Amino acid sequence: MALLELEEVRAGYGPTSVLHGVSLSVPEGQIVSLLGANGAGKTTTLRSITGGVQWTGDIRFAGRSLRRMHTEDVVRCGIAHVPEGRGILTELTVDENLKLGSHLRRDGAAVRKDYDRVFEYFPVLRERRRLSASTLSGGEQQMLALARAFLTKPRLMLLDEPSLGLAPLIVRSIFEIIRTINTEDQVAVLLVEQNARLALEMSSEAYVLEVGRVAVRGSSSELTGNDAVRRSYLGY
Amino acid sequence: MQELLQQVVSGIATGGIFASLALALVLIYNAMGLVNFAQGEMAMLATFVALALIDHGMNYWIAFPVTLVIAFAGGIAIERVVIRPVERAPILTLVIVTLGLATLINGLAGFIFGYVPRAFPSPFPVQTVNILGALASYQDLGVIAVSAVVLLAIYLLLQHTTVGLTMRAAAHHPEASRLLGVRVSWMLALGWGLASAVGSVSGIMVAPILLLQPNMMQTIIIYAFAAAVLGGIESPIGAVVGGVIVGVTVNLAGVYLPFVGGDLQLAVALAIIVGVLVLKPNGLFGRPSVRRV
Amino acid sequence: MLTRIRNSPPRYWLVVVVILFFIGLPTVISSFQASEWAQVLVLAIAIMGLNILVGYSGQISLGHGAFMAIGAYTFAILIHRYRMNYLVAIPLAGLLTGGIGFLFGVPALRLSALYLALATFALAVVTPSLIKRPAELTGGVQGIILPPVDPPPAAGAAFTALTGTPMTSDQWIYYLTLAFALVLFWLAWNLVRHRAGRAMRAVRDGEVAAAASGVNIAGYKTLAFGISALYAGIAGALFGLAVGFVSPDTFPVSLSIQLLVGAVVGGLASIPGPLIGAIFAYFLPIESNQWVPAQTWIPSQIASTVEKAGPAVTYGVVLILIMIFAPNGVVGLVTAGYARLRRRLRGAADRENGQMPPDPQTV
Ligand SMILES: Nc1ncnc2c1ncn2[C@@H]1O[C@H](COP(=O)(O)OP(=O)(O)OP(=O)(O)O)[C@@H](O)[C@H]1O
Ligand SMILES: [Mg+2]
Repeated sequence: MALLELEEVRAGYGPTSVLHGVSLSVPEGQIVSLLGANGAGKTTTLRSITGGVQWTGDIRFAGRSLRRMHTEDVVRCGIAHVPEGRGILTELTVDENLKLGSHLRRDGAAVRKDYDRVFEYFPVLRERRRLSASTLSGGEQQMLALARAFLTKPRLMLLDEPSLGLAPLIVRSIFEIIRTINTEDQVAVLLVEQNARLALEMSSEAYVLEVGRVAVRGSSSELTGNDAVRRSYLGY
Repeated sequence: MQELLQQVVSGIATGGIFASLALALVLIYNAMGLVNFAQGEMAMLATFVALALIDHGMNYWIAFPVTLVIAFAGGIAIERVVIRPVERAPILTLVIVTLGLATLINGLAGFIFGYVPRAFPSPFPVQTVNILGALASYQDLGVIAVSAVVLLAIYLLLQHTTVGLTMRAAAHHPEASRLLGVRVSWMLALGWGLASAVGSVSGIMVAPILLLQPNMMQTIIIYAFAAAVLGGIESPIGAVVGGVIVGVTVNLAGVYLPFVGGDLQLAVALAIIVGVLVLKPNGLFGRPSVRRV
Repeated sequence: MLTRIRNSPPRYWLVVVVILFFIGLPTVISSFQASEWAQVLVLAIAIMGLNILVGYSGQISLGHGAFMAIGAYTFAILIHRYRMNYLVAIPLAGLLTGGIGFLFGVPALRLSALYLALATFALAVVTPSLIKRPAELTGGVQGIILPPVDPPPAAGAAFTALTGTPMTSDQWIYYLTLAFALVLFWLAWNLVRHRAGRAMRAVRDGEVAAAASGVNIAGYKTLAFGISALYAGIAGALFGLAVGFVSPDTFPVSLSIQLLVGAVVGGLASIPGPLIGAIFAYFLPIESNQWVPAQTWIPSQIASTVEKAGPAVTYGVVLILIMIFAPNGVVGLVTAGYARLRRRLRGAADRENGQMPPDPQTV
């Protein structure tokens, strides 16, 4: 059984419906990428999972339906959602942002160890601990968001375009770390990306959304190998 | 000079009273972008509760924290019952609701406790003490001390506890906070509870001076508005500084400006409110806000 | 003309009935009751002013009692000091208050809705102590006592011919207030239907869009403040006339709250709303004052407390409940109910005729 399963999920904003029956699944400990053109509904899919929009159909996490659950409760089940725009609390310091990530955990020793790891991954965050998060650069904010998500000790991370607006070099290093977290802690990842090539490199499986429907689904290597799919959906 | 110093000390004491209520306003403003017009009335009701406890033989220093706990619970209850249904309504609706709340509480207090002003005990001796040549009353110093302790406690709670952190997070970025597992709606209620407790300190401190009756806080809330606006309505530190400035200013104006005297002190507060709002809407400590159009 | 009336929608008939009701009212009630109803109409005028500001321009004033105070004191001073004719003094007081309101509207432009609420509320609280200060002008704490007015002979004669009793001063004041109310309601109705009203609503519903479509936002917002204050000023003057004196305590904060209650109960952004709201806001405390002592189960010692606290409690509860459950007030409830009823009736009729109901948007 997969860790996360979406079954015929329909969702929208008020009168406009955006998702017209999306089904996908993320197996335990795997990275799955979710691709598609602008406006295809990738962000809306992630928001459905964490209860940010109304949806019908079914979404199950670790065998438990998330229907009618509030965002707070979904997240407390072990899903970390790094939203589009990163969701940094710019009024707070870097440290306070990180604390918000770990504030629900009761395993003090493990938390301290995780902080050490976070600072090992992102040394810059240690240097800026006391500064306001608003002073961070875009790339540093992305690191903070990722670090904060990691500190919640999730079983699944939903990452919405972690590469957006970042220099290629930084993107590389961030994706490295995502992969490390994935392999070392068995954290599953549902990765939304515009950079399809990079995403397919990372993931074992991929879905391509087209106007609210799953147009293509397959293993990442399959999709990379398929020229027709590559040209018509992935644009490279 | 001595006289001036004395007036300043008593101004700081009054300022502490204003500051508590202003801080309560700021807490709710930060939680939901709303000025709670019922804050003063809530404090007045809590003060009646304190008096009832003391009249039943409870020691002042036990009745005091007990009242704060009751006020805290009352604030949460009010948020859940009255504010929650209109949480997402336009600001005008919310303002009218809190004004309705103010009217309701005022009436209820009159209903239960009557309109005859009552003496309220002060725990501080009536003597004065000589500080640097100026005579300060224990009453004033006591009020300053109590206010300072309460304000410090709130500061520590907000800045150095997890609950405080989540409250601030929920206030600034509800959506992002939800994604981190913060129960935002509950944080709003907590904000109301906290505000209610802090505000009631000002009621308890001012009651020995003004005598307790349902309309006691009607003028104090105006001074608190002035303090909060002067400090920058979203700044807790601003509320405290603003409270002290308003307290001292009003006190000095009342004594040294014959034109103002006792009965136009309230007009000074109005002038501060209007002046700050028109000339420097973000107050002393507020961050400039983005204005549409 | 007649055919036009016959073919006009039912609400025009309603208007005619209401006007006739108010004209006929003093012939069937006592002179004292007429003076009560005069105050209802006074409140209705002031609430209409508030309604123009809040309902149509989206600004707020929690201190409209202060504008009433300005109007009332201007009126009293003009009569008392300058021996002016009261019929001239009323509109003059209104104009002056309107001018002050217009000036007030300029700094108000810079304030957000919340800050405006705060500043006007503070104004309402401070007003009584401000009035006391220039004591030679305002009479200080005592206030100013106004000479009673006699009905003009023609009006008195007409009234006597109709009812067989001489017209009292109160009855004359009632008719005078009614005349002002009719004119001011008619003006308000014209205002909201025509360009200024549409512009104001556009401003209320979204400043950005309104600015984009070329509406002079600042102009209309200050204009709304001025007009609103003019209404409050005239109401204040008529209030002074009806009560026979003005004093600082005639204009407490609770007056401003009473106006707000009236505006909200009747329904913001509606023309009949202020009248309904005024009837409610005026009679609620009076009824509770009469009802409470009549209840033998309430011990007499606490009856006076109940009398005093009852209106505040009710006002508070009403404000909260209306905001939660019926933000458009009584008028909003009635229109919604009427629309639903009509839809159902029309649906039934159309089904019989075999016709499709028209597109609801065009109704
Ligand atoms: N808050 C909203 N209200 C109304 N419509 C919205 C809202 N957010 C998104 N939409 C619409 O929903 C559709 C899907 O949006 P979504 O953000 O899910 O796309 P996306 O795949 O994440 O696109 P992108 O790659 O640009 O981020 C779009 O047509 C968008 O216009
Ligand atoms: Mg997106």
